Amino acid sequence: MAEIELAATPKTERAKPAELVQLIVFRLGDEDYGIRIEQVKEVTVTPEVARMPKTPPFIKGIANLRGDIIAILDLEERFRLRPAGRPIPERSYTVAVEAADYTLGLMVREVPRPFTLPLSQIEPAPEFVQDAGTRDKYLEGIAKLPEGGIIIVLDMRKLLTPSEVLRLPGKGASS
Amino acid sequence: MKTRDQEYRELFMAEALEYYDSMSRHLSELERNPDAVPALNELFRLMHNLKANARAMGFNDLGEVAHHLETLFGLIRDQQRTFSGPLTKVVFAGVDALGNMIRAVGAGQPLPDATALLDNLDRLVRGEEPVLEAEEAPESEEEANKKMELSDLVYIQVKKLDNLLNLVGELVIDRDRIMTLAQELDNPALLATAQHLFRISDDLQYSVMDARLVGVGVLLNKFPRVVRDVASAEHKEVELTLSGQDVQIDRNILQIITDALLHLVRNAVSHGLETTEQRLKAGKPAVGQLTLSALTERDDVLIQVRDDGRGIDTEAVRRKAIDRGLVSASTAATLNEKAVWAFLFEPGFSMAQQVTDISGRGVGLDVVKLALDSLGGQLRVESELGVGTTFTLVLPTSIAVKGALLVEVEERPYAVPLLHTDTVLSLHPGQISVVGGVLVTYFQEQTVPLVPLRLLLYDEGDGPLPLATRDDISGPQQVLVVNYNNRRLGLVVDRFIRQQNIVIKPLSKPLDTIDLFGGVTLLGSGQVCLVLDVPALTRLFLNKRP
Amino acid sequence: MNKRILIVDDSFYMRTMLKNMLTDAGYEVVGEAANGAQALEMAASTTPDLITLDVILPDNTGLDVLKNLRQIQPAAKVVMCSAVGQEVIVNEAIENGALAYIVKPFSEEKVLEIVGSALQNNDSEQSA
Repeated sequence: MAEIELAATPKTERAKPAELVQLIVFRLGDEDYGIRIEQVKEVTVTPEVARMPKTPPFIKGIANLRGDIIAILDLEERFRLRPAGRPIPERSYTVAVEAADYTLGLMVREVPRPFTLPLSQIEPAPEFVQDAGTRDKYLEGIAKLPEGGIIIVLDMRKLLTPSEVLRLPGKGASS
Repeated sequence: MKTRDQEYRELFMAEALEYYDSMSRHLSELERNPDAVPALNELFRLMHNLKANARAMGFNDLGEVAHHLETLFGLIRDQQRTFSGPLTKVVFAGVDALGNMIRAVGAGQPLPDATALLDNLDRLVRGEEPVLEAEEAPESEEEANKKMELSDLVYIQVKKLDNLLNLVGELVIDRDRIMTLAQELDNPALLATAQHLFRISDDLQYSVMDARLVGVGVLLNKFPRVVRDVASAEHKEVELTLSGQDVQIDRNILQIITDALLHLVRNAVSHGLETTEQRLKAGKPAVGQLTLSALTERDDVLIQVRDDGRGIDTEAVRRKAIDRGLVSASTAATLNEKAVWAFLFEPGFSMAQQVTDISGRGVGLDVVKLALDSLGGQLRVESELGVGTTFTLVLPTSIAVKGALLVEVEERPYAVPLLHTDTVLSLHPGQISVVGGVLVTYFQEQTVPLVPLRLLLYDEGDGPLPLATRDDISGPQQVLVVNYNNRRLGLVVDRFIRQQNIVIKPLSKPLDTIDLFGGVTLLGSGQVCLVLDVPALTRLFLNKRP
Repeated sequence: MNKRILIVDDSFYMRTMLKNMLTDAGYEVVGEAANGAQALEMAASTTPDLITLDVILPDNTGLDVLKNLRQIQPAAKVVMCSAVGQEVIVNEAIENGALAYIVKPFSEEKVLEIVGSALQNNDSEQSA
C-alpha cells in the first residue's frame, strides 16, 4: 500500500474558540436552573424514596442509587419556588450531583437537558437577587440566552456542605 | 500457630518469586530494546529489594548475586555499559541463578554455588570481559517447567477485601429480591434457579467473610509490651497471660476495637490492680494477674480483660455519678450495681484519683463504648470489690451480616439489630400503667418504660415528649423491648414484620450526622429500610422523657 | 504518647518486618505506603510523627518523595532506609532534611535506636 504522507498542517491556534461551559439544565418552579456538567454524576428517574425522620422538609428522604444510599433534596421546597397547588409529579427525575466526598440527589419535575454555552455568557450573580439569604449564596451566575430567557447557574460545592443541607431542621420555624 | 520467622519466610518467598517473574519480563523487554529506561529502572529496583530482603533473611549468597546485578544494572542505566554481547549472557545466567536460589530457599535446600557467576559479574563491573564456558546444553523440559512455580500465598490490600465484601452485600440483596420475585411468580424453573443462586451466594458470602478473618493474636500479641510499660511507670508488678490468640475475627473489627482494648488494659493496670504494698496488705499475692483472652460464643467473639485487682467501688461510682449530675441522688439510690457501673462508660467519667500519664489525660472509658456501639457490640462488666474486675467485649465475628428484627411504623419498615433486642411483647391495656407521664409495664420483675417509636422518630424540637395518658392506649400494643447498657426500653410499634439477616450500609454524608440511624439496609422487596441505633434511641428517650 | 509512624517501602516483606519491630516497641504504625504517590497521600491523611522512607521506589526516587514530604508535612521527621550502595543518595537526602538513615539489612536494636533518637530530635516530650 502506498504510504500517504500527511503534509504537516500548520493549524493556526490563534483563533482560539471561546471557552465553553456545559450545563445540565432543569426547571424549578417556573425558572430554569443549571449545574455545570462536571458536578453532575448522572440523571435518573427518581427511585423509591424512603422518608427520613429528623430531617428538614426539603430532604425528601433517602434512595438507593446503584447501591449508594443518597439523600434526595427538593430544591423547589428549599428555595420556596413551588407554586401553590402544584404537587410533585408521580414520575420525577433525580440529578445526582457530586460533592467532594458524597453524592446528593436533586429531585426535578422534568427531564433535565444538557446545554452548552460560552463561559462569557454567564454573568456573576447580581447582589440584589430576591430571596436573599437562601438562593443567591449558591449562585455561580446567571446566563442570558441570545434567544431570550435566562438560566440560573448553581454552584453545587456551596450548596452541598453538610451544614447547609441539614441547616435548621425545623427548629424555630416549627415550634 | 505460625511463628514470626515462618511468616517472614513466607512473605520473603512470595515477594522473591514475584520479583523473579518481573525480572524475567523486564529482561525480555531489554532484549528487544536495550535502552528501555523504565525496564532498567525496574530491574535495578527489583535487584535492590531482593538484595535487601535476602540479606535480612540471612541468605547472603542470594543477596550477593542480587547486589552484583544491581550494580551492573546501575552502570547500564548510567550508560557506562550497554546491554549487549557477552554481558547479556551473564545477566541472563545471573537471573536464572537467582531463580534457582529462590526455589532452593523455598524447598529448604542449600543454595547452589555462584562463585563463577559472581566472578564474571565482578569482571563486567570492572569493565573486563567475562569468562564464558562453552555453550551449555539446552535445559531439560523439567527444568523449564520448574520456573513456572508461583507462591501459594497472596497478599492483598484490605481495601480490596472491603470492596469485595460490599459487592457480595449487593449480591445478597439482589438475591433476596430475586427469591421474592420467584415466589410471587410461582414459576418452578425460576424458583429452582433462585434457590441455587441463594446457596451459591451464601457460600460466596461466607468465603469472602472468611478471607477477612485474622487471629485475635495479631492484636493481643502487642500487649505484653504495653503492660510492661504501664506497669513500670506505675511501679506495679503485673503478670500478663494471653489466651485464645487463634480465635478468628474480621480484620476491620479488630482495627476498630484496638484503642478500646488498649484503654481497658491500661485502665486495668493503672486503676484496677493495686501496688505491691497494697496487695500484700490485703493478703493477696504480690504480683497482680492480668488476663487477656479471646473466645467464641455462638456467632460472637468475646474479648475479656480480667484483673485480680481491687474491683469496682460501686458506692464511689454512685457518688461520683451524682456529683457529675448524671443522675439524681434519689434515682441513684435505687440503681443496682450493673446500672451504676454503666456510668463508668459515660463521656468524661473517670474514676482515677489523679489523671495519670499512662491511662488518663481525662479520657474516660467512653471510647470503649463508642467503639462497641459503632460495631453493634456490647460490653459486659463483672466485678467484686477486693477480688477483681472483668470487662468483656462482645463483638460480631464479621461486620457484614447482622441479625435484625424488622418492625413497621406508619407503613415504613425499620430494622433493629438483634444484639440490642431483649424480647417482643404483646400487651393489653391492663398490663400498661402511667407513671409520671410515662407509660410503663412490668416485665421480669422490672419496670420497663414504654414509648411509641413513632413519637421518638417524628417528634420535632428539643422539648420533652408529651405526657402520656391512658387514653393513648387502645387495644393490644406491640412492644419491642430493647436493651442498651443494662437499660431496658419498650418501643411500641405498629407491627412486627419478621426476623431477617441484613447487610447494613452506612449512611453517607450529610445524613450520617443523624445518630438515630445506624445505617440502612435494602430489603428483598428493594425497599430502603433504616436501621435503628438502639443506643441513640435510648439516649434520645432519656433526654426527652417528660 | 504513642508516636505515630508511616512506613514507606516498596517491599511488603520489608514493611512487615519494620512494622513488627516498631509496633513491638510500642510505636503506632499509622500506615504503609508502597510508592511515592501513596506515601504523600498517606502522610497528608495520617500526619505521622515520623516517616521511614526507602530510597528506591517504583514511581519516583525516595529523594523526590522526601522533598515533597518536607513540603506537605514539615513537622514529620524522616528517616531514610537503604541497602548499602546508595550512600550518595542518602547524603543528598540528609541535606534535604532527612534526620538519619537505616542501612538494610537492619537489626531491631539499630532501627529502634535510630527511630528513637530521630524522634527525640527537637522533642521535649519524654517517654515514661
